[in-house]
Amino acid sequence: MNHSLAICTLSVLASVAVCAQTAQTAAAMSPAEISIQKAEAQIAKQPNHVPYYASLAMAYARRARETSDVAYYAKAEETLERSFKVAPDNFDALKVRAWLLLGRHEFAKALEAATVLNKRVPDDITVYGYLADANAELGNYDAAVKAAQWMLNIRPGNVAGLTRAAYLRELHGDLSGAMDLMHMAYDSTPFQEAEDRAWLLTQIAHLQLLSGNVLEAETYATGALGLFPNYHYALGTLAQVRIAQNRYDDAVALLEKRYSAAPHAENLFALAEALDRAGRKNDAAKAFAEFEQKSLLESNITDNSNHELIGYYVDYAHQPARALEIAKQELARRHDAFTLDAYAWSLAASGDYAQAHAEMQKALAFGVKDPKVLRHASEIAQHLSETAASR
Amino acid sequence: MKMKPLALLPPLAVLAMLLAPPAQLFASSHREAPITALDQKADITDWYAFVSPEHPDHVVMILNVDPFLEPANGPNYFPFDPNILYEMKIDNDHDGNEDITFQFRFTTQIRQPGVFTGFVGNLAGIPAITALDGAGSEGFSLRQTYTITMVTKHGRQAIGQGQTLFAVPSNVGPRTMPDYNALRAQGIYNLPNGISVFAGTVADPFFIDLGAAFDSLNFRSAVGGGVLSASVDADDHHNYAPNTLAGYNVNSIVLEVPISLLTVDGKMHAAGDKNAVIGTYGTTSRPRVTVLRDSTTNLAGGFSQIQREGNPLINELIIGTGSKDRFSTEDPSNDSQFANFFLNPLLAQIFGSIGIPVPPAPRMDLLPLVQYNAPICPGCGPQDAGPIADLMRLNTGIPPTPFAMAKRLGFLAGDNAGYPNGRRPLDDVVDISARAVAGILADPKYNTPIGDGVNTAATPLPSTFPFVAPAYSGRDSVHGAGPGQPGCSGQIGNVCPN
Repeated sequence: MNHSLAICTLSVLASVAVCAQTAQTAAAMSPAEISIQKAEAQIAKQPNHVPYYASLAMAYARRARETSDVAYYAKAEETLERSFKVAPDNFDALKVRAWLLLGRHEFAKALEAATVLNKRVPDDITVYGYLADANAELGNYDAAVKAAQWMLNIRPGNVAGLTRAAYLRELHGDLSGAMDLMHMAYDSTPFQEAEDRAWLLTQIAHLQLLSGNVLEAETYATGALGLFPNYHYALGTLAQVRIAQNRYDDAVALLEKRYSAAPHAENLFALAEALDRAGRKNDAAKAFAEFEQKSLLESNITDNSNHELIGYYVDYAHQPARALEIAKQELARRHDAFTLDAYAWSLAASGDYAQAHAEMQKALAFGVKDPKVLRHASEIAQHLSETAASR
Repeated sequence: MKMKPLALLPPLAVLAMLLAPPAQLFASSHREAPITALDQKADITDWYAFVSPEHPDHVVMILNVDPFLEPANGPNYFPFDPNILYEMKIDNDHDGNEDITFQFRFTTQIRQPGVFTGFVGNLAGIPAITALDGAGSEGFSLRQTYTITMVTKHGRQAIGQGQTLFAVPSNVGPRTMPDYNALRAQGIYNLPNGISVFAGTVADPFFIDLGAAFDSLNFRSAVGGGVLSASVDADDHHNYAPNTLAGYNVNSIVLEVPISLLTVDGKMHAAGDKNAVIGTYGTTSRPRVTVLRDSTTNLAGGFSQIQREGNPLINELIIGTGSKDRFSTEDPSNDSQFANFFLNPLLAQIFGSIGIPVPPAPRMDLLPLVQYNAPICPGCGPQDAGPIADLMRLNTGIPPTPFAMAKRLGFLAGDNAGYPNGRRPLDDVVDISARAVAGILADPKYNTPIGDGVNTAATPLPSTFPFVAPAYSGRDSVHGAGPGQPGCSGQIGNVCPN
């Protein structure tokens, strides 16, 4: 990290305390609530002005991110329908619709929608963001990089482009480079955007943790929670920090809090794993069972928790055949590094180490350095090596 | 179908939300290009260059950025962006390319991380802010320092090395900063080699009836609907229409340097000598980011220009919307691609359509604004014109006019030290530019007194360095000067017309 960025880091760290206090004392409403209120007032005043509906729909979607409450997605959809009644086929609403497709993990459909929108208005930076998102989730990393680079070329320093580039750098294994960009994004995010800033601090915490800097990760995750209390993302990241510190009971408490706020299958899986590590075997078994039931119900739709379900069947339930079946199903939808890893891991558990190794090489091709993926890769390679040696 | 909130998305898809532009960015105009409309910190509001009336052997350059700063908008107020490279550039050999560059980089410190605002004084045991450093600066928590680097063909040179330069914060209010003017004075630095510098928040010196101008030239009927009466036109000291900038702050970097440091041969020259004329402009740039790095040593290598300004209002009034971003990010020496905008400006066509006589295109009379020609460069022959390049040209051989005697219409009113020979904060560039577009430089017969009725800045402009007025107080200032509001001293009862 260069000198200026070191100062930048200090600045972010120091401002966490300032931000936290201000957020708690000054903000009765969250940024999304303020946006919702503003857009609703604008629509009441000018019901035929189409952009206001897109603003309201995005504000609802943003509130969903703040609260993890899925009801806001329905409100966003409903708002878009109102928009289309005023102006069918209007661009602003179609953009929000593409974004909602991403939210539902309909990555292929989102890519299709964004591609159509891109042809319609070639210079819209938001649409390029959706192209980057959809391509990255589908595993089309070169196309994702191209879209993100376009964003940064046309608008150097824009926050949306920086954060996308940071994620792609992370996937490419450049963790310090990803942190550099997240810091730049943080510096450019307006002070009053508390949730955006908390999100950025959470991402920096995540990157610090991946880099092995547990104390720094703790500082940033704690700062995010100070900025946006009970923020579900930050709770999850701080829980990972606690696990790295072997403070499993604290991790369980944080993950229980997150699951209470965001009762989704993958959050329950993380809680079950933490319970297991904390030695609470009965509670863990109960949580795993509940997770399996919940996850299976959504396994066939795009918005699923199949990565966790595969991990559960391989690592805890020891049912590799079921894991492999689900992995194949998921691989038909996307071929990103994490899906390829899950597939490779289920192949290995099924005894097909040669194929597992081949799939793992695909998973690692872009440069991902996720600890779990690397552990899987290492174990597969070691098994092959031992097998070869025994011959 | 069940839908999950973004909590469940892998990180990248979540980022889409960050695209939602912050609401505050919609609160102001004074933002011309689509890119910079989304990057307020990098938005150059105005660029000034003039021979100092205090020191006639020096040139003053002012780079103003970050428009429409509401003085009360705490708690962090308006720091410069540490990620932006701010630059002042000078072409002294008339090729349109910079030969001398002054670079400014800012660094932020948070000195009181436990305090809820960037600035606090006379509260909770913290004394009032009376100093930028040392005793009396304890409450100056969000503090910025900056560096200056001079870049020439001979290399890079740090200016004022060894001296810590502090940016002057905005005027929070009288409890926190009981003597703001004294505090601000500490931010004026006299450096070696006759260089002076100031950086900080100031009252925006620009003046314009922005609302009327951008409502399709819907100027107030009380001031002639855009054509001024002789008495209003002759009044350099009162406003007859609302000044949209009244009450707003802006961030300002002011640099005064010896003329001999800027000219091609390091000497001062008489006005008739072509070497007396320099071309200047300001830029803002951000680090160029490559998504995937080839090494771990760069953010990217170099910077991407976000915006530039040479002549005022070129991007706002002359360049078409579809080309504004490209114009902002281009080097002036490549401006020939925009020649049609200069030589056949749409604004002139509009003037013609509403009955204001204008010369026919191509408008060669506008070339002095974008080439080295007389009358700004009387010593330039045809071979010296250089490429079409939007630069603020300044003839350093023309002596400065004391501000008390200066004319708002500058060159057009016989005050040759004013725009378009350089630009001073007091120059009424709105009226001057409009009249230039209408043809006054082509022939005196095209002398329609076009104007918005805003003839002077909201706050008296200092006649000494840094030539920009102190920031408005966050606690005690009001904007006023809206339609129907007080603030138009030229009108009966001081009330601005609707």
